[in-house]
Amino acid sequence: MSGHDSKYFSTTKKGEIPELKEELNSQYKDKRKDAVKKVIAAMTVGKDVSSLFTDVVNCMQTENLELKKLVYLYLINYAKSQPDLAILAVNTFVKDSQDPNPLIRALAVRTMGCIRVDKITEYLCDPLQRCLKDDDPYVRKTAAICVAKLYDINAELVEDRGFLDALKDLISDNNPMVVANAVAALAEIQESSSRPIFEITSHTLSKLLTALNECTEWGQVFILDALSKYKAADAREAENIVERVTPRLQHANCAVVLSAVKMILQQMELITSTDVVRNLCKKMAPPLVTLLSAEPEIQYVALRNINLIVQKRPTILAHEIKVFFCKYNDPIYVKMEKLEIMIKLASDRNIDQVLLEFKEYATEVDVDFVRKAVRAIGRCAIKLERAAERCISVLLELIKIKVNYVVQEAIIVIKDIFRRYPNTYESIIATLCESLDTLDEPEAKASMIWIIGEYAERIDNADELLESFLESFPEEPPQVQLQLLTATVKLFLKKPTEGPQQMIQVVLNNATVETDNPDLRDRAYIYWRLLSTDPEAAKDVVLAEKPVISDDSNQLDPSLLDELLSNIATLSSVYHKPPEAFVTRVKTTQKTEEEDYPEAGEQSYSDSPARVADSGASPPASSANPQHPASRQPAAPAALPDLLDLGMDNSGSAIVSVDQPASPAGPPLPVVLPASSGQGLQISAQLIRRDGQVFYSMMFENNSQVPLDGFMIQFNKNTFGLAAGGQLQVPQLLPGTSASTLLPMVLFQNISPGPANTLLQVAIKNNQQPVWYFNDKIYFHVLFTEDGRMERSTFLETWKSLPDSNEVSRDFPASVINSVETTLDRLAASNMFFIAKRKHANQEVLYLSAKIPRGIPFLIELTAVIGTPGVKCAIKTPSPEMAPLFFEAVETLLKS
Amino acid sequence: MISQFFVLSQRGDSIVFRDYRGDVPKGSAEIFFRKVKFWKEDGGEEAPPVFNVDGVNYFHVKVVGLLFVATSRTNLSPSLVLELLQRIARVIKDYLGVLNEDSLRKNFVLVYELLDEVVDFGYVQTTSTEILKSYIFNEPIMIDAGRLPPLGPAAMFMQGSKRMPGTAITKSVVANEPGGRKREEIFVDIIEKISITFSSSGYILTSEIDGTIQMKSYLTGNPEIRLALNEDLGIGRAGGRSAYDYGGSAGSGAVVLDDCNFHESVQLDSFDVDRTLTLVPPDGEFPVMNYRITQEFKPPFRINTLIEEAGSLKAEVILKIRAEFPSDITANTILVQMPLPTYTSRVSFELEPGTVGQTTDFKESNKRLEWNLKKVVGGSDHTLRAKLTFSQESHGNITKEAGPVSMTFTIPMYNPSRLQVKYLQIAKKSKTYNPYRWVRYVTQANSYVARI
Repeated sequence: MSGHDSKYFSTTKKGEIPELKEELNSQYKDKRKDAVKKVIAAMTVGKDVSSLFTDVVNCMQTENLELKKLVYLYLINYAKSQPDLAILAVNTFVKDSQDPNPLIRALAVRTMGCIRVDKITEYLCDPLQRCLKDDDPYVRKTAAICVAKLYDINAELVEDRGFLDALKDLISDNNPMVVANAVAALAEIQESSSRPIFEITSHTLSKLLTALNECTEWGQVFILDALSKYKAADAREAENIVERVTPRLQHANCAVVLSAVKMILQQMELITSTDVVRNLCKKMAPPLVTLLSAEPEIQYVALRNINLIVQKRPTILAHEIKVFFCKYNDPIYVKMEKLEIMIKLASDRNIDQVLLEFKEYATEVDVDFVRKAVRAIGRCAIKLERAAERCISVLLELIKIKVNYVVQEAIIVIKDIFRRYPNTYESIIATLCESLDTLDEPEAKASMIWIIGEYAERIDNADELLESFLESFPEEPPQVQLQLLTATVKLFLKKPTEGPQQMIQVVLNNATVETDNPDLRDRAYIYWRLLSTDPEAAKDVVLAEKPVISDDSNQLDPSLLDELLSNIATLSSVYHKPPEAFVTRVKTTQKTEEEDYPEAGEQSYSDSPARVADSGASPPASSANPQHPASRQPAAPAALPDLLDLGMDNSGSAIVSVDQPASPAGPPLPVVLPASSGQGLQISAQLIRRDGQVFYSMMFENNSQVPLDGFMIQFNKNTFGLAAGGQLQVPQLLPGTSASTLLPMVLFQNISPGPANTLLQVAIKNNQQPVWYFNDKIYFHVLFTEDGRMERSTFLETWKSLPDSNEVSRDFPASVINSVETTLDRLAASNMFFIAKRKHANQEVLYLSAKIPRGIPFLIELTAVIGTPGVKCAIKTPSPEMAPLFFEAVETLLKS
Repeated sequence: MISQFFVLSQRGDSIVFRDYRGDVPKGSAEIFFRKVKFWKEDGGEEAPPVFNVDGVNYFHVKVVGLLFVATSRTNLSPSLVLELLQRIARVIKDYLGVLNEDSLRKNFVLVYELLDEVVDFGYVQTTSTEILKSYIFNEPIMIDAGRLPPLGPAAMFMQGSKRMPGTAITKSVVANEPGGRKREEIFVDIIEKISITFSSSGYILTSEIDGTIQMKSYLTGNPEIRLALNEDLGIGRAGGRSAYDYGGSAGSGAVVLDDCNFHESVQLDSFDVDRTLTLVPPDGEFPVMNYRITQEFKPPFRINTLIEEAGSLKAEVILKIRAEFPSDITANTILVQMPLPTYTSRVSFELEPGTVGQTTDFKESNKRLEWNLKKVVGGSDHTLRAKLTFSQESHGNITKEAGPVSMTFTIPMYNPSRLQVKYLQIAKKSKTYNPYRWVRYVTQANSYVARI
């Protein structure tokens, strides 16, 4: 290869696409290869090169692996938008899957599985079946993953063709790479199925544990993760498992180490011997610590996991607190996690060392880190009674530096320390009061006010201190107002003298009459009533002894902690959230649910496996004409564009139920995403024109088990640059309900280059499901504008002014005009306007005009014998490239 | 399993983008970049390596200024993904010789070919350069070495972080030399990253060595290799002893590792007996062994800081560093940094008379003092005096508002742990077979901090 790949990014002034097209069809191999590289380059920077599909696919039949791979890469990208053309590639795929070269066999199966086009899927089955039993392990391991790919596209097909059993057989394969991929594929399939598919028995367990030793590092992770779901029968089995997994702790790959730790922790639950447990804890500590020598990103994951582990088994790392001391150059996210663990590991034995560290951190530059360090000191004071005094003296030292946010943070934690150890450290209140006027954060202010109120009787000038806050009472945040109210009441109850009495009146007035905050007002009224009815009762209530707070550093709820621990080494353990809180991948609905909702989509859906089985029985080699099966396909299932009227009709009649108002356009909408491919979500949609504007008329039906909300829509680039002109307005859809909407559309937003076509690619997302992509069709006539009417004279002039090369005509042999009147009415309803008519022998000749946005006119001549099939349509327009689209539209309109 | 993999430049341009499963929207790269860039409004805080936006999990690592990113919708192992991202970077570097935006763009076809073999349907297949060689057909296009920024002596460790300090070798494992034949050579680097925290009185509070024996082999035919380490190498601190009272074994002179792990190609059969490692090195760069030491060691630099207040608006900082390694060894690219009180408005510096190759700077934006030294010879002393002027009166405790002093440096041919490769034996193919063997030691500062 010569030169740089970057040259493929350079563009020439004249049309890039035609030039590429020429090069792709060059007779020279090297030129073709270079051209494909240029196409891929364009594709990777987001240019639309889909129009070169046929030309690229033509390069597929080559012995050159490098070129073949490039073509395959292109295919994966565009097959979805060109499903009919993708069929052209099938033959080569099938042939390649039997190539003597194992790399080519594997490549074919790998690529076919990535092309998510149903028509291709059915041809995949036979090659896949062969490749699962291939002699070459590289082919088998690729085939194993391919089963998971296929399951994702069509689960039933996988089950019907017995691929699951073939996959299970691969668990006993003699090549560890194959075993690992089979395990990964089965685990994924199990994840999306509600039936037990991949259950680990003690037999598979021992097989997998043996394979573990020979696997690549990544395979080890797949296997360990799959095995972690295994429940050992008794302590002895658990010990056996642990013994065979422990050597993995020495692995250089952090993922292997963490997955091994997970396995061991899980089995430890069953082990009763304390000696064994102690020994295991000792073995796990060094590898866990070593994770902290990895890249900071890995350290972060390790620390989040260690945080959970030390909550459950504090002894494992009890002596290792030093490794959690923050390094100067640790990223902030690592420092924050280390602080958490330091608090958890702090003990009477190491607290002096820990405090020394915290004190250092509290003088660093990063404000968030400093704040957290100050809070950490307070939390240690609360956790370790014997160290509380030392903690407080460190806090006082920090207050003396007079760095504003340090002082405020210190006051907040000291308030908690007072609540943990009442009547112990009040002597420091005087020092705290010195910083009173520097407080400007609500939480710090509120904490200080609470302290003053709580200890009013010991602070000589408590009334003065509180009074200083009262002036700004109306402007204070609610949190501060509430504390001021309570503190003033406490002061009054403790020192019922004249000053406090005046203060309480001001506060109660402010908090009842002048405020809009119901919490504040209600609390004020309660105090008011208490004070006015029975001051003694008020004392009992307000000055009652408060429960002592406890250490909050082991906050996680035990059941949540257990769940998170069973998810060690997964994202769940990093987020500290159970998986269902963030995994939005909804399980694929099974066919039993499908049957509960008989609808049009179902017919074609349940059809497809049967059809596939048919074609599977005959060798695919016989399908030399790949177009053939496509044409006999009754209705395009799944997300294929519904090109055949048949499909639209039968689906349309079924989906609109009586109590659902049909979309304002009237006729039922074609299904664009059947429930079978939308995990229960069915979408019907069509572009329509109303009041001079294009709308996307849509209906959503939720046949899944969960409420769906947060719908959003996006349109891919298309010939007319159609895009959403507003937000998609769909309310939350409860299971079993549906909603219709009209989405206004705008034109010329994101125009795709290349020849004009009617493809409209749509993506729909909601908060619960993956993004759905489907193809719809742009009905050209919805673009006909209301101002398309032409005067007779203008018509003639325009006709004459356009060159003859702009005249195109087509016959519609199946169309028939039964009545001129009705036909003209129907056409007029779609903004095709009648101008004149004449008779020519037994034929009627009609002249009409239409216009599409940007003022492009179409002059139309329709010729037909009334009541006899066969209509000839001739048009003249400045944009003859639009003619095929136009004819399609006219044909549709004549038919309806 | 991962859904997508992409590489973004520092500006957020997507250089490589591969979608493996099609269940994450195409705009993910943009969503990711915006999220990372504006993690906190002020941009002061770094985004964690793993986060979730709208049900999509984003994983990223930074390698030579590029963001390597993966997305997923499932609850998979984050360490697997992060490790994978590092490995992809390493494999690409093995192939391209140099990993940067330019080389990625020039070799995009090869990169995509690699990505297709490394991951299938989101599942990692292999990250071994050796195995990949049999499936990869594109050849790398080497970028012009002349266009690389000039390589200072320390630049050889500038690429990558932590375990992947790109070596000086910017040579692809697959491409042939311009002359045609490949040179038979093997590189073994003993890289030690040291972390030390000194207390204000100069005691060592914590110290740690993160070491790696890294290998990069260009030997044809993959001959077997034996690496012999110190015979008296100990592994694991005696049970029950904690990190506080290490040093008990220091007297015996033996090197004691707290923990170590090995690359999967390493045979440990004789390791327990005579501390030799046997392996058939795969192609590409890889760590033979990682180790961690908390045993006490002699710090290569001592730092002395003195702060003298001169009135309420002035102070003088005196920084002194002493190189405590042998005089035949030279450290390079030394940087000493110290945060100053936020109300510092001006700093004037005074170096010792006659010094060369030293520069000083006061970074106004983050109030930081910086002292650069090109070279420091073992046994030497260097002093910097900085006169500070304050815009307001200090609170009377400057030491609490300044510091700590931190250092970064590289010391070639020196490793504080005294771990050694005693010999490197290559299974001989013939009498004349005598490939080049490079065994190199280097020490780098990780977190080297002196409190004041």
